[in-house]
Amino acid sequence: MSDNPEIVIETVGEFLVHALELEEASSDHYDELADSMEIHNNLKVAELFRKLGDYSRQHAKEVHERTAGIELPKITPWDFKWKCPSSPESFCMEEASYMMTITQAMEIALFNETRGRDFYQQVADNTPNDEVRRIALEMVEEEGWHVEMLREWQTSLQEEPPLDDLDPPNMPE
Amino acid sequence: MPVPALKAKDYKSGIKPVWCPGCGHFAVLAALTKAMAHLGFEKERVAVVSGIGCSSRLPAYIDSYGFHGIHGRALAAASGLKAARPDLTVVVAGGDGDGFSIGGNHFLHACRRNMDMTYIVMDNEVYGMTKGQASPTTRPTWTQSKMTPHGTGIPRFNPAAIALAAGAGFIARGYSGEPAEMTRLLVEAIEYPGFAFVQVLSGCVTFRPDQRGWKEVVHPFINDVPTEDRIKAAQIIQADEGKATGIIYASPFPVWQPENKQVTELNLFEEEFCI
Amino acid sequence: MNNNNEVSESNNSYSVAITGSGGSGAVTAGRIVLEAAARCGYLGLMTRSAGPQIRGGESAAMVRFSPDPVECMGNHFDLLVALDWLNIDRFADEIPLTDKSLILCDPAAGDVPAQLRSNGAEIREVPFKVFASGLPEGRINMVALGAMAMICGLQLEALEASVKQILQRKGGEVVESALRALSLGYNHDRRPVKAPLLPGERYDVWSITGNQACGVGALRGGVRFVAAYPITPASEMLEWLAPRLEKLGGSLLQAEDELASINMIIGASFGGVPSLTATSGPGLSLMVEGLGLALVSETPVTVVNVMRGGPSTGIPTKSEQADLDIALYGLHGDAPHLVFAPLSIHDCVFTTQWAVQLAEHLQTISVVLSDQSLGQSQAIIEIPPVPDMPWRRAIEEAPDADYMRYRVTADSISPMTLPGTPGGMYTADGLEHNEHGTPSSMAVDHREQLNKRLNKLEEFDYGDDWAEIEGQGDACIITWGSSTGVVKEARKKLRWQSRDIRIIAIRLLAPLQKQKLSRAIGGAGRILVVEQNHSGQLFRYLRAQGVLPKQAESLAQPGPLPLRSGRIIRLLTAKDE
Repeated sequence: MSDNPEIVIETVGEFLVHALELEEASSDHYDELADSMEIHNNLKVAELFRKLGDYSRQHAKEVHERTAGIELPKITPWDFKWKCPSSPESFCMEEASYMMTITQAMEIALFNETRGRDFYQQVADNTPNDEVRRIALEMVEEEGWHVEMLREWQTSLQEEPPLDDLDPPNMPE
Repeated sequence: MPVPALKAKDYKSGIKPVWCPGCGHFAVLAALTKAMAHLGFEKERVAVVSGIGCSSRLPAYIDSYGFHGIHGRALAAASGLKAARPDLTVVVAGGDGDGFSIGGNHFLHACRRNMDMTYIVMDNEVYGMTKGQASPTTRPTWTQSKMTPHGTGIPRFNPAAIALAAGAGFIARGYSGEPAEMTRLLVEAIEYPGFAFVQVLSGCVTFRPDQRGWKEVVHPFINDVPTEDRIKAAQIIQADEGKATGIIYASPFPVWQPENKQVTELNLFEEEFCI
Repeated sequence: MNNNNEVSESNNSYSVAITGSGGSGAVTAGRIVLEAAARCGYLGLMTRSAGPQIRGGESAAMVRFSPDPVECMGNHFDLLVALDWLNIDRFADEIPLTDKSLILCDPAAGDVPAQLRSNGAEIREVPFKVFASGLPEGRINMVALGAMAMICGLQLEALEASVKQILQRKGGEVVESALRALSLGYNHDRRPVKAPLLPGERYDVWSITGNQACGVGALRGGVRFVAAYPITPASEMLEWLAPRLEKLGGSLLQAEDELASINMIIGASFGGVPSLTATSGPGLSLMVEGLGLALVSETPVTVVNVMRGGPSTGIPTKSEQADLDIALYGLHGDAPHLVFAPLSIHDCVFTTQWAVQLAEHLQTISVVLSDQSLGQSQAIIEIPPVPDMPWRRAIEEAPDADYMRYRVTADSISPMTLPGTPGGMYTADGLEHNEHGTPSSMAVDHREQLNKRLNKLEEFDYGDDWAEIEGQGDACIITWGSSTGVVKEARKKLRWQSRDIRIIAIRLLAPLQKQKLSRAIGGAGRILVVEQNHSGQLFRYLRAQGVLPKQAESLAQPGPLPLRSGRIIRLLTAKDE
């Protein structure tokens, strides 16, 4: 699956289903990370992921609005045309850790957001459908703006020393 | 009025998982709920059964009927439930310690009994809930546990090989880093009419941070899979280092399931005792 | 005085032991005698004794019949039928004879062993082997049966009817030959030995084992799923249930081990089907963790534990009441639950049904302590009536938005939703939980659920069935389970001497009905706690619960030898004087 040569999306419906899946998976993923960071009392990082989840949710809402009146194809979960094993903004799950610093979290976020933007760019580059290209480029712009914003945020952060695990994992059962 | 189709999210209970951030089990939860949505299950007709361990917390996170039992006995509880209630879709979830160590005997017999259920083992080669001891699938030279400071020194349990030898008819291996493919495996497993075994390589970021490297080594089977040929399946499994993913073996076998149909009354049996 | 007893016992019942090397047909002969006695209007009991071999070795059937219910063996045997003398030394201490007993044997089998001659029993010889060898397919056990029937005063026709019924599966020739052998034995020596018993009333009876009777009780209670692992001496219950469950819309699953069987029935019961397993001590030990799960998740299950000699592998083929401790205290944590013991083979039906239905109603676990002496003995009993028992599981079929699986209610019983019910979804858990079933380690939830699980048992009204109480007098015997039979026998004999005692036979061991028990003990002067184990498990339990007056004494005798009424009577009378 990761060897898909090129992403070729032919209809607006197909594209919007991809975009919806990407944004919804992304918001779920960030929410989940935020929840589990809260459980582990890594509140700064939780806040970052919560914010990113909100952005994705907002994007998903916008994509959803674009679907009005358009017939959407049903795509099985494993038939999405991603170039990676999961939807582009939800990768690198295992890079998370309850002891991660805000700067490390930011790296994951940047990695994911960049991949989201790249996905839209690839769609625009390869689609034979002008309407798809038009919408995809709009999204590239939005995601690009998002990436830039994260970069600015990142540079404003001070490098933090790695956290000490003063209360290592306990044994609930 | 048609009932709107449920989305994957609708199958989540809303209870926040106890798992660590980055835990592979989140991907399994996501893939399972996607599979349920894809199959269009009514939530109340699904029962998720588990034992004890990090992964065994799964039933509480799914909005269906659930049974979080005791360590190692999930397959037994699920077998009784399925025998009594064949109308339910039964999914069993657990970890490598739960399924292959303390529950090893039930694993063998569930494979050969071939009741219609899906068994997902989230294999992270470690006991997470008791703080990082070696499990049956841990490599013998792993020395990071205080309980086995020199490593276990004993060969690893090969789940797919044992499932095949014990008579399982559906054997697959997935990876938490490939959630879309895992969803496909789970859908196929649930639809398989019999005992479907899915081993998911699901990394433990807390006790096995080295497993972050799995994404470099996990790859699809290079062989032509799935096969219906038991001998070929054995060769594929034995030739593989345990990090190849896909459906390895799928072959239909007779399913054990009581009919639960009443054809007579109790007093007929009581009369047998009369002199 | 002792003599007096024995005379009375022999007037009221007749006891026969049939022994032989395994394969000689002692047990088949015993079964035929028992059912022939039933046809003559008697009630009866047959126990079997065998060595550890799968087959062969030694084998003995002990049969006792009487116009009254028979719930234990007598103090001695009126008749010993020896098909041969091989291995007789293994049985000698299980077959007490007196100078009024008779030994029926074949001169061709050799001399009567000295240890049997020593008690002065009369010997009557019949050439079993010669008669049998004169017939095609002739069997010595059938010749012996005929001779035996003449001696005990059973009618030949009754015997013939039993032979036809029991042997019919083996074909016409076998039955024909058996009938001729029977007749040869019956007519060989027509000297009556003693006056026959008074004829019994004509009851409607069953011929049934305790294991089968527990099976009947389980089915009457609504059990439709059983998972179990074979174990002596419980397997016959499972073998009886398997084909019948199938026809009643249920099933029996032979599990890979007892860990599986207990968890399988928990799974099935979670699905809404009343479920049960049967086992013996070693299996119960393995099931204990699962029992805790059923208890905390409030998933009703019943375990019938057919006790054998313990601990460990112990004496698998012999009886002992030594699992009371594990049944009461085996679980970790504070784990109140139900423990029952059937008081006779007849009572196996009622007690098992009651246990199943109370487990269902109270959403808890029931442990039923049967034992080998009940389980593997064949009895002629009056047909157990079908009791009016309303207890069923409370099922929530239409849960509202506020539904909580473990809601604290007035009677602490929370209606349960079953998988398939929309809106009632929950995850059952062995972890402590709150009213929703969500795992919780908070003190407030733990206390609330502990209270709930205790209160639902403590506040339930168990009525009068918690024990069987009979008799009057200054002396009181408290007993439980299968020992009840011999205690009742002791009372009967004391009454022949115009003395009565009070018997309290406890059927519901947990929760202990302390007030009712104290009332039943009343102001008794002598109190004896009778049971078949080494350490006095019931005695210690009652002591710990504070219900025993300080003068109470323990009569605890371990298996494998059965308790005999003579010992109880001697103890009661000797100390009186």
